[in-house]
Amino acid sequence: MISRTMDRRRFLRAGLAGTAAVLAPGALSQARAQGTNPIRIGVPTAITGTWAALGDQVVRTCKLVAEEVKEKGGILGRPVEFLFEDTQGNPANCVRKAQEMVERHGVNLFTGIMASSEALAVTAKLAEWNAFFISSINGAGELTAEKFVPNFFRANTSGPMGARTIALYLKDAPQKTFFAIGLDYAWGHSSVAVFEKEIQRAGKEFVGKVFAPTGTKDYATYIARIRQVNPDGLYVALTGDDGTAFYQQAAQYRLGEKIQMFTELVDMLNLRPGGDATTGLIGSSRYTFTLDTPANRTFVQRFQKAYGQPPDTFDGEQYQALQILFRAMDKARTAETAPLVKAMEGLEATTVKGTVVMRECDHQGAQQGIVVRAVKRQGFAHPIPEVIRTYPADLVTPPCRKSSYS
Amino acid sequence: MRRWPGALIIALLLAAPWGLPAFLLTSLTEVLILGLFAMSLDLLVGYTGLHSFGHAASYGLGAYAASLVMLQWAVPLPAAVLAGAAFSAVVAVPVGWLCTRATGVSFAMLTLAFAQLAYALAYKWQSLTGGSDGLAGVPRTAGPFGIEWFASRPGFYYLVLLALLASYAFCRAFVRSPLGTTLQAIRENERKALALGYDARACKIVAFTVAFFFGGLAGALYAPFAGFASPDLLFWLLSGQVLVMVIVGGAGTLIGPMLGAAVFLLLEHYLSALTDSWALLLGLIFIVFVIGLPEGLWGLVRRRQGPPALLRLSPPVPAPEREHGLP
Amino acid sequence: MSLTALLVTQGLNALSLAALLFLISAGLTLIFGIMRIINFAHGALYMLGAYLGFSLTLWSGSYWAGLAAAPVAVGGIGWLLEFLALRPLYRRDAGAFLLVTFGLALVLTESVRLGWGPDPQRLAIPPQLAATVSILDEPFPVYRLFLAGTGVVVAVSLWQFLERTRLGLLIRATAQNAEMVEAVGVNVRWIRSGVFGLGCALAALGGVMAAPLVTAYLGMGLNVIIEAFVIVIIGGMGSFVGSAVGSLVVAGVQTFGNFYLPELALAIIYLAMIAVLVLRPYGLFGHEE
Repeated sequence: MISRTMDRRRFLRAGLAGTAAVLAPGALSQARAQGTNPIRIGVPTAITGTWAALGDQVVRTCKLVAEEVKEKGGILGRPVEFLFEDTQGNPANCVRKAQEMVERHGVNLFTGIMASSEALAVTAKLAEWNAFFISSINGAGELTAEKFVPNFFRANTSGPMGARTIALYLKDAPQKTFFAIGLDYAWGHSSVAVFEKEIQRAGKEFVGKVFAPTGTKDYATYIARIRQVNPDGLYVALTGDDGTAFYQQAAQYRLGEKIQMFTELVDMLNLRPGGDATTGLIGSSRYTFTLDTPANRTFVQRFQKAYGQPPDTFDGEQYQALQILFRAMDKARTAETAPLVKAMEGLEATTVKGTVVMRECDHQGAQQGIVVRAVKRQGFAHPIPEVIRTYPADLVTPPCRKSSYS
Repeated sequence: MRRWPGALIIALLLAAPWGLPAFLLTSLTEVLILGLFAMSLDLLVGYTGLHSFGHAASYGLGAYAASLVMLQWAVPLPAAVLAGAAFSAVVAVPVGWLCTRATGVSFAMLTLAFAQLAYALAYKWQSLTGGSDGLAGVPRTAGPFGIEWFASRPGFYYLVLLALLASYAFCRAFVRSPLGTTLQAIRENERKALALGYDARACKIVAFTVAFFFGGLAGALYAPFAGFASPDLLFWLLSGQVLVMVIVGGAGTLIGPMLGAAVFLLLEHYLSALTDSWALLLGLIFIVFVIGLPEGLWGLVRRRQGPPALLRLSPPVPAPEREHGLP
Repeated sequence: MSLTALLVTQGLNALSLAALLFLISAGLTLIFGIMRIINFAHGALYMLGAYLGFSLTLWSGSYWAGLAAAPVAVGGIGWLLEFLALRPLYRRDAGAFLLVTFGLALVLTESVRLGWGPDPQRLAIPPQLAATVSILDEPFPVYRLFLAGTGVVVAVSLWQFLERTRLGLLIRATAQNAEMVEAVGVNVRWIRSGVFGLGCALAALGGVMAAPLVTAYLGMGLNVIIEAFVIVIIGGMGSFVGSAVGSLVVAGVQTFGNFYLPELALAIIYLAMIAVLVLRPYGLFGHEE
């Protein structure tokens, strides 16, 4: 097990050493001359607060990667250091922490930022900071479309890509009419909007949608609405605690008996506390530990050994983002922002999820779309996502700088 | 004699850009902005006896208004900041008129309700406000006459410092003006003030509007400082936090709340860098602090004679709880 | 779904939500009535109830044991908190209590994160209540009926307790005039501690009962506290009956509002509160202080 406190202390020590280096310029230049000054990656993420469970995935995977890099003797011969800071998912904290990393710790690389409001606030500052941000979580389509900035890359599957994947899958499904429930939040809106268009394109009928605020605890009234509309299929764009609460309550009202549920994001975070409530759920997945690629088998094994459980969605996405980042560093032979951006554009990498191409035109990672079903398997107390279909990258990745599909 | 510590502090603040490393200057800028925000609430809490639990509304409205005029019409930064403050004050008139119908906790909850409505509006009015994402990339628009100097780190710092000093001077004069003393009379005894012929409600609405103006000014400075405005700036959590800053610093002192803001921000920032369990420490500090320092931080600074209350044996308010008989 | 079926199930939905909201807000209003303080830690205590309910159920193997034990445990914790942190402050202003309970909320929330980790914890509905019944051909969870029933039973028993027993009389008297109660030889301190503990226990009961609906998770106290404030204000600060009526109002407004006007979900309870306060500045059952 890798303990967080230990790393924190190590980190703090690194911080103090840094201060000492500033006070003694000789020491710093000596370190530079040897080329051993560490590559620092800033991870301002949600360690406490409502998003803590997701932030925990980011932090634990970064720590695993730090161990891995250490064993390999660093990147470009330099050690890699992660700076974790708690933003509580609030953009004001995120900007403050990121700014400190830039101005005080000389960080120019960011990853693991949680809320899309945080991501947008940081991307707007990247040029000023001359910094680079590779997303592992942020799903809002606009980040690689309307709000594109040159120093931002998205390694993860975006919301529109997930929605498109499940819509492609539903083309041949027996269900004819669909209703959508989404989180009243940028990602939820973006996901539902794409689903609505795509499902209509697939020749199905879209019969309505409703958005529930984050932190809704009683979904009964939304369930009543869905029952009243009585669609064949229900598209769910809820995540985290909101998703879990919805699946639990939907099962209590036996919603799934009449209406098949589909989702943009099958997460073990929802499957674990959801219990039987989520068995049979079909959806696209940004990452699942059951993906059968050589890189993934190794990763899952390693992860299981370190943490005693299989990796979840954002463990896999964070791991992939870092794999891509390190590939780009190898290609650029440096960790500086401008060359890294250049090396990242058009980069092709084989990761835990298969082949990813970081598109030059909008910096979205083109990657395959995955459809999974939550099934019960021996050895697991809860349903696990099993891959039932994949779609090639060119079918699921939107046109350049678009968050919809023409 | 008694004035020179103040002059020294102002001199130090003026000299700060030469002596401080980049991030400390950035931090100081944010501390001053939050200090201005907390001071504006003190006008209500400390001087008028109105515990507003929706003061984030002033901050968020100022931030959104300033951001929008810069993003949409490229209004120069200083004008945009003033526009943000003015917008906040204009909204405050009808809201204050409604909220001051009530007193005490009802007043607090009405202000909360209006702040949450502003939050909901910012959240849902996607086309104007950017919805849950908010407005990112808020610039520090140059001008008038193409002056760009305040867009730089030290330049922006001076702009904030100027705003804070001017606001402080105004607020100090305000609380000492006849209107200000009337407000304090209302705080002490509203019935008596009414009997003396004061229009208490009108005075409260004026105080509410002035507080919103300076709260809005703080918000309007924050947006170009951080480069964004988001619904979180209107959320009740921030209203609660700024109330905490005022109380920690000492309500009714103007300076105290600024200290409170600095302590709150810096404690949270540096504790959270030290440990994931920073909330545990912060919470414990608050509890010990309240029990030990009844007059707030500024009370401690001012009452240099004698040991701080924390070290005293007898309770600071010499009114022991009466105990007659047995349960 | 027929309109009748819709109205009946939605009515029951509202009633079960009201029961949950009542458990949280009743404690808040009792504490305000007797101590004149707003307990910011109430949401955190509700969350603690859910987590303790989860663990005690796991440990004892019985949901019922968890349901009974968690409120007792949280009530005890509340009693202790009153003794340690609030008792030194009774001669101070509202700000001091705000700060201390704000601090307590931070401490409790972080303690839960340290104790149970960041992942949500699932508390399953006990097998006796896991079924659904058919109401006008619509499946309705028995657990929701149990929730509504518990709310009614708790409300009526607390009301009877306050109205009919000597202790209830003392609590009401303390809320009216603590000095008078002291003057007749009653130790008000113990009444305050007891009521604070009772309020916390009620919040915890709400938490355990909410857990099968939403799981026990770290953010659960944050949203609920403001809703509870709104209920207490709509009902009238310190009014026990008011908190019951306020819960029904807020649950009704949310259930039907989110059905017909889902776009207003973020604003609707505040609009309701403003409407009430404009008509009655001290709430439905409140009086001028």
